[in-house]
Amino acid sequence: MKKNNRFLTVGISVVAASALVLTGTSSSNAAVKKLTTIRIAAVVKGLDNPYFISVKAGIVDTAKALGVTANVQAAPGLNDDIGQANKLDALAGQNYDCYIVIPISSNNLSQGLGKVTKQGKPIINIDSPVDPASLKAAGGKITSFAGTDNTAAGKAGGQSMVKLIGSGKKIALIAGLAGNVTSNARIDGFKAGATGSTFVGPVNADWDTTKALDAANQMLVANSDIAGFFAANDQMAQGIAKAVAASGKKIPVYGVDGIMDNLNLIKAGSVTASVSQYPYVMGKMGVEACVVLAQGGKVPAWTVTPHKVIDASNIDAALKTKNNLPPGGYTDPYAALIKK
Amino acid sequence: MKLSTKSSTSSAQAEEVDTSMYGKLRVAMKDPFFWSNWIVVVAFILVVVVFGAIKPHSFLTMYNLNNVLVASSIPVIIAVGQTFAVATAGIDLSVSSTMTLGAVIFGLTFTNGWPLWGSAVAGTIAGFLCGVLNGFIIAKRKISDFIVTLGMLSVAAGFALVFSDGRPRQIVSTQLSTLAIGGFGQLPYLMIIALCIAIAAHFFLFNTRFGTHILATGGDPDAARSMGVNIDLVKIVVYAISGTLAGFAAMLTISRIGAAEPAANTSILLNSVAAVVLGGVSLFGGRGTIFGPFVATLLLQALTNGLTVIGVAAYYQYVSIGLVVILSAALVRTK
Repeated sequence: MKKNNRFLTVGISVVAASALVLTGTSSSNAAVKKLTTIRIAAVVKGLDNPYFISVKAGIVDTAKALGVTANVQAAPGLNDDIGQANKLDALAGQNYDCYIVIPISSNNLSQGLGKVTKQGKPIINIDSPVDPASLKAAGGKITSFAGTDNTAAGKAGGQSMVKLIGSGKKIALIAGLAGNVTSNARIDGFKAGATGSTFVGPVNADWDTTKALDAANQMLVANSDIAGFFAANDQMAQGIAKAVAASGKKIPVYGVDGIMDNLNLIKAGSVTASVSQYPYVMGKMGVEACVVLAQGGKVPAWTVTPHKVIDASNIDAALKTKNNLPPGGYTDPYAALIKK
Repeated sequence: MKLSTKSSTSSAQAEEVDTSMYGKLRVAMKDPFFWSNWIVVVAFILVVVVFGAIKPHSFLTMYNLNNVLVASSIPVIIAVGQTFAVATAGIDLSVSSTMTLGAVIFGLTFTNGWPLWGSAVAGTIAGFLCGVLNGFIIAKRKISDFIVTLGMLSVAAGFALVFSDGRPRQIVSTQLSTLAIGGFGQLPYLMIIALCIAIAAHFFLFNTRFGTHILATGGDPDAARSMGVNIDLVKIVVYAISGTLAGFAAMLTISRIGAAEPAANTSILLNSVAAVVLGGVSLFGGRGTIFGPFVATLLLQALTNGLTVIGVAAYYQYVSIGLVVILSAALVRTK
């Protein structure tokens, strides 16, 4: 069937697994799938978080710019692992050319991805990686991963904070959901970067602003010598900033993600810095990788998307870019591979 | 519904059955309770027909209907448990956390080398204990169901985090993944399990003395007590059923997502309450079916699935699902 596609695709558009066909060997451009016929399905995390809204914007804008169709679906909530799996199951049978996924937990989408792989469709995993062992057990295969190195991002935050407050100080850590891989990587990375510091926590505040506010208040009461706060995401950093402001102390607060709200707070001075990850870029790269694969091209198996510490020194440049892109640009290995 | 009319020729039989059914239907349609039972079926058929008409080649495929059945099976089991609590004019808000605790216990025992059945029993017992505790406190201390199960929601979620140390446990088992993916013909194993539980629950509620006691307790506790119904025992049993089913469903959840997750999935709770209300079970107790919540769960899952398949953006899905819940509930509440 896959071989037949090579002949069928000449002249007419075919909705099929052309990704696995070696169209690289085909000489004429007519064999390349037309952009307007490419259909992409994306299953992302809960859209009650600005970070994933930004991923979605990256997917939708890029799909529009390229003229491809994208159906973006999200889990009903950040915790709803089964609800997200149901969404992927529903889309897996719908003959899309390519699937973009961000799993809620490292295992919850594996069975659905197994179904997608069995149909010969490519999968682009962005942001949070799918666990390789469970994916293999379900017979699934990720064609390409594009996401940040969360440990490296945490480390960059740690180094920046030590540069600001000096070595040997006490830093309070506020983590996301208990046991979350991303949160753990950021916290561990931060600890590795902030060499010579002592740490309080991490306390789990479930990625939530209000819970982080309460947690920071309690930490401030229990430890009068906290010299810095690190939160595993920006929404929690906002909560911490409120607690710090209420305490009357001047304690630097670092977050991770670089969501727009937080960049404005950095500009205003209530949050010190954010290790920006570029969710919009991840969504964009996901669509580009899908298009390349649908056209029969090949993509790198692993792309590390950029991260950058945004603080008072570069906040103006960061705010100037449209869609919150990294100041100073970034490399996109997929864009050049698209055949227009 | 047994028809007493019997006739020798088949056509005459059909005619007689028809008129008698029509007659019965006319009587039934005047009964508001009839509507609270059947509106959910009508809504379900409507959802299937509408999505089927919009995307016949996507929504009405065997593959996709299979998806709806798989997605419905765990919520069905939880909704059945919830029905028992609501039938006594109570509510079990702790189902999602109880399920999480069951999953964590399953994960702990399984990764410590217990056999699959042993872990399944351990997880189910954890759920059973939560339920019994709920029921015991509600019955003996005469505290509102709402408050006790709300407390248990937090306690069970907390213990799930304590026992798991906040870390997910990956469960690799070919038997479990076969359970999640496989099926008997077109019927997924998960749905077969859910169906068996629903049928057993229906039999228990409507064909046993104790089932009658449950409905009597919900309908009028004072009258039930004076008739000699052990109200306390009824309360303990219904919450034990709800907890046990939640603990058991934990295993099915693990089979689907391949890990015991320590964080509670609150949408399970919301889904079960919505299904019970849509299914025509009176929140004031005493009236209800198992069939109603069963179909209501299918309706909710078919709706989510259909909206996903036709590509409705996530935000509008919340709106649509909420509207269907409110609209159906409004129709169910006929006076």
